[in-house]
Amino acid sequence: MFDFSIITSWVHGLLTSWMPEGLAIFLECVIVGVCLMLLYAVIAIVMIFMERKVCAAFQCRLGPVRVGPWGTVQVFCDVAKMLTKEIITIRHSDRFLYNLAPYIVILASLMAFACLPVARGLEILDFNVGVFFLMAASSIGVVGILLAGWGSNNKYSLIGAMRSGAQMISYELSIGLSILTIVVLTDTMQFSEIVQRQADGWFLFKGHIPAIVAFVIYLIAGNAEVNRGPFDLPEAESELTAGYHTEYSGMHFGLFYVAEFVNLFIISGVAATIFLGGWMPLHIPGWEGFNTVMDYIPGFVWFFAKAFFVVWLLMWIKWTFPRLRVDQILTLEWKYLVPIGLVNLLLMVIVVVFKLHF
Amino acid sequence: MNNNLQAKITAWEPAAVWSDKGDGMFTVPAERFRDLAVRLRGEGFDFLRSLTGMDWGEEGFGVVYHLESTATGENVVLRTLTPERENPVLPSVCDLWKTAELNEREAFDFFGIRFLNHPDMRRLFLRDDWVGYPLRKDYDPSLNPLRMSNEVAKDSTASFELMPDGSVIRKRSVLFEEEEYVINIGPQHPATHGVLRFRVSLEGEIIRKLDAHCGYIHRGIEKMCEELTYPQTLALTDRLDYLGAAQNRHALCMCIEKGLGVEVPERVQYIRTIMDELQRIDSHLLFFSCLCMDMGALTAFFYGFRDREKVLDILEQTTGGRLIQTYNTIGGVQADIHPDFVRKTKEFIAYMRPKLREYHEVFTGNIIAQERLKGTGVLTREDAVSFGATGGTGRASGWACDVRKRHPYAAYDKVQFDEVLFTEGDCFARYMVRMREIEQSLHIIEQLIDNIPEGACQVKMKPVIRIPEGSYYAAVEGSRGEFGVFLESRGDKYPYRMKFRSTGLPLVACLETIARGTKIADLIAIGGTLDYVVPDIDR
Amino acid sequence: MSYIKGLFQGIGSLATGLKVTFKEFFTPKVTEQYPENRATLQMYDRFCGELTMPHDAEGHNKCIACGLCQTNCPNGTIRLTTETVTDPETGKTRKRLVRYEYDLGSCMFCHLCVNACPTGAIRFSTAFEHAVYTREKLVKQLNR
Repeated sequence: MFDFSIITSWVHGLLTSWMPEGLAIFLECVIVGVCLMLLYAVIAIVMIFMERKVCAAFQCRLGPVRVGPWGTVQVFCDVAKMLTKEIITIRHSDRFLYNLAPYIVILASLMAFACLPVARGLEILDFNVGVFFLMAASSIGVVGILLAGWGSNNKYSLIGAMRSGAQMISYELSIGLSILTIVVLTDTMQFSEIVQRQADGWFLFKGHIPAIVAFVIYLIAGNAEVNRGPFDLPEAESELTAGYHTEYSGMHFGLFYVAEFVNLFIISGVAATIFLGGWMPLHIPGWEGFNTVMDYIPGFVWFFAKAFFVVWLLMWIKWTFPRLRVDQILTLEWKYLVPIGLVNLLLMVIVVVFKLHF
Repeated sequence: MNNNLQAKITAWEPAAVWSDKGDGMFTVPAERFRDLAVRLRGEGFDFLRSLTGMDWGEEGFGVVYHLESTATGENVVLRTLTPERENPVLPSVCDLWKTAELNEREAFDFFGIRFLNHPDMRRLFLRDDWVGYPLRKDYDPSLNPLRMSNEVAKDSTASFELMPDGSVIRKRSVLFEEEEYVINIGPQHPATHGVLRFRVSLEGEIIRKLDAHCGYIHRGIEKMCEELTYPQTLALTDRLDYLGAAQNRHALCMCIEKGLGVEVPERVQYIRTIMDELQRIDSHLLFFSCLCMDMGALTAFFYGFRDREKVLDILEQTTGGRLIQTYNTIGGVQADIHPDFVRKTKEFIAYMRPKLREYHEVFTGNIIAQERLKGTGVLTREDAVSFGATGGTGRASGWACDVRKRHPYAAYDKVQFDEVLFTEGDCFARYMVRMREIEQSLHIIEQLIDNIPEGACQVKMKPVIRIPEGSYYAAVEGSRGEFGVFLESRGDKYPYRMKFRSTGLPLVACLETIARGTKIADLIAIGGTLDYVVPDIDR
Repeated sequence: MSYIKGLFQGIGSLATGLKVTFKEFFTPKVTEQYPENRATLQMYDRFCGELTMPHDAEGHNKCIACGLCQTNCPNGTIRLTTETVTDPETGKTRKRLVRYEYDLGSCMFCHLCVNACPTGAIRFSTAFEHAVYTREKLVKQLNR
C-alpha cells in the first residue's frame, strides 16, 4: 500500500529548506486548506450528479442527459447558475443571523470532512480523540439550521428548524452509541489507527453480530442526521415547502444544498472508515493471489469506492421510503434505536471481554 | 318520487305544493320550510345530495334541496323561496346537514341569500370586496373590474340571527385570535393539489383550527353555462374535475338526454361505461401517485405516473385528448372507438394487475406508510353522510354511496362488481378503497370490452336543442364521488340555471372536522387521501 | 414480544419495498427524449392539435362560408369574412369565403365547429408544437 506521507514529508522538507519552519507550516496549512475545499467542491458536484442519476434510475427515468455527455456538465451549469443568482434579503428578518447561518452549516461540514482518512498518510486532522472531534464538529451544523429557521422570519422555516433541532439532537445519540460500539472493539479513537487495525479484516466482519447491528443503526441515524429521506422532515417539501432554507436564494441556498450532500458523503465516509476498513483493501484470508491483486488498487480508490457504495445504499433508501412523521421519528429513536444501541454496546463489550470476535 | 312519499310529505306539510315539471319537486314556503326540513331529517333523509341557490326572477330567490335517505334510498326534491329581492333571508339547514354549511355560503356568495343562524356567513369563492351577486339575473358585470389590490385576509366572520320582532341582526365572530400561530397552507403549496388555501392555527405541530379558502380558480362556469347553448356547455364540464372529464360530461349529457327524453343506443352506453372506468383508473392512479409524493415517497409517484400514461394513451387514441377529451355528446359519443381500442385496453388490463401488486409492495405494505395512514384523520360514517362526502371517502367510512349501485346508469346494471367498503374511515381505508376500486374498474371493463354491441354511436339530434320546461337532476359516480348536474330549463335553447354538484366541496367541508387535533404532516396525508381536485371545488 | 415482532415485521416490509426499487433500478427507462425523438414521434391521428382547413392540389377548399362553425363556437374563436358574389353563368348570388380566422389561443377543442360543418371543410390536425412569443401569432388564417 502506497504511503502518501512520503509525498507530504517531501513537500515539508522542500519548503523548510527554503524558508523558516513557521512560515513553511503556515504555507502548508494554506495549501492543505485549499486542497480540502477543492476536494469538498468536487465531491459535492459528484454527489449531486450521482443523486440525480441514481434517483432517476430508481424512478424509471434517465436523469440529466442534455448538457455534456450523459449530462455530466449539468451540475457545473447548475453551480454557475447558483453563483450568479441574486441573494435576496428578507424584510423583518434577523439580517446577521440570516446571513451567518449557511456559513455555520458549511463550516461544520468542512471540519467534519477534514477528519476523513482518504488514504494512508492522507489524514488532515488525525489525533487521538478524532472520533469525538468528528462528532463535536458535525453537531455544530444544527446551530446553523436553527439560526436559518429563526433568522428567516418565516413560519414554515421556523417549524422546519425546530423539527431539525429535535431530530438531529436525538439521532446524535444513536450515532455516538454505534461508533462507540466499534471504539470498544478497537480501543482507539484515532481514525488512522482504526483503519490500521482493520488490515486483517473489516470491523463489520470482525465484530460480526454487534458490528452489523451497529452498522445498520449508524446508517439509519446517519441518514436522519443529514436530514435525508425518509427523515427529511426539516425540509419536507410537501409539508413545509422547503423547510428551513425556504427563504434562501443564490449561493446561500447553494451552501445549504452542498453541505447536505457532502454531509451525506461524510456519513458514508465515516461508515466506510469504521465499518468497512477505510482505505484498506479487501483481503480474504488464505487467498494470497487475490490479496496481492487487491493491494495494487490504491488506497484512495478503496476509500471512495466504499464511501460511494454506502452513499448509493442511502440513496436507495431515500428513494424508496415515504417520510416519517415528527412523533414517529422520535419514537423510532427513543423506543427503538437507543435501547437497541445500548444493548448492542453491552453485547460488544461481552464479545470483546470474552474474545468472541474474529 | 313515489306517490307514497308524496302523500306523506303533503300530510306533514299541507303548505307544500307539488309540481310535476321535469323531475318534480315540492315548493315549501320559507316560513314553513325549517319545520319540514327537521321532520325529513328525523325521518331518515340524512343525505343532502345537492343544494342549489336560484334566482327565479319575479318569484324571488330560493334554494333547491335534493335529499336522499341512505337507509331506504328514497329521494325527494324540495324548494323554498322568498319574494324579497333586496335582502333575501332564508332559514339555514346547516345544523341538519353539515354539507349545507359551505353550500349555503356559496348561495350567499352568488345570490346574496342570507341564511339565518348560519355560523359563518362569508363569501365562499369570490373576494370579500366583490360588488353584487353574480348569479342574479339582474347582475351587472361592469361593477367588478379587475382589481389590482390585494385582498386583505379577515380574521372575523358574520352570522345573521332573527330577533323576536322579525328583524335580522348581524353578529360578528372571531375566526383567529391575534396571538394564534396561523400559517397559510396554499394557495401555492405543493400538497394542496392546485390553488386551495387553508389558514391553519397551530400549536407546535398540532392543528387547532382550519379555515378553508376556496375560489382561487373560480371561473364562474355555472354563470357561463347560462349564456351557452346545450352542446356548448358540454365543453366546460371537462374543465371541472380534470381527472373526471369523461364522467363529468357523461353526467351533463345524461341530464340533457333526460330532459329531452332521448334514449341512447346500447353501444354508446357501453362505450361510455368503459370510458368512465378508464377515467376512474386514471384518476385513482394519479391519486396513488400524489399521495405517495405528499408522503415523501417520490419514486412510487413515478411508478404511478408511468402506468397512468398507458391509460392516457388509450383515451387519447380514441378521443383525441388526454385530459380534455370532449368525447361524450348529447345522444352519443364524438367518434366510434378506435380499431385498436379493444386490443389496447385488454393489454392494459393484463399489464396493470402485476403493477398494482408492485404498488402494494413498495407503498401499501411499507411500515412507514402504514404507521402514518392508519388511525389518522378518522371520518365517522355519520359525519361522512352529513357532509355528503361521497366517493372513496364515504365508502372508507362504511357508507355505501356508490351512484353506480344506488341509481344505476349506462351499463352498470349489466355488470358484476363489488362496492368496496371499509369501516375504519381513516386515511388508510380511504387509500385502500381507491386501490381496490382500480381492481373493480378493471373487472368492469373486462366484462364489457368484448361485448360492445354493434350499432350507431350517435343519435340524430335536432340542430337546435331545446329542453322542455322543468328541472332535472342526473348524477354519475365520478372519480371522487357523486357528480351531479342540476338543470333548470324554461324551454329555451339556453339553460336557465345549471348547477354542478361538486365532488370536492363536501370533502373540503369535512376537512376541518377530520384534521382538527392532528399534525401538519397528517393534514397533508388527509388532504391526499380525500383526493379533492380544486377546479372541481371552485367551478 | 409484540415489540420484537413489530420490529421484524417492519424491517421485512421495508425490505420488500427496497426489493421493488432495486428491480426497477435495472429495468429499461421510460423517458421520452423529446425533442430528440421528433423524427419518430407519432401522434394519434385523432389527436386535436389545431384546426386546419385542408386544401386540394389546386388550392381549393370546401368551405361554403355558411358560418355554422362561427355560430357554434362557444368562445368566438372563429371569425369569417365573406363576400357576396354573383355567379356569371346562373346569375345566382352566393357567399364566398374571403378570410377564415382562427384563434388557437381561445380554442377549447370542443369539436362543435367540425361537427357542424356541412361540407367537412375543417378538421383537427395533429400538430402540437404551438409555442410562439406573442398571442397575435396564435391567430391564424386557415384559407389560402
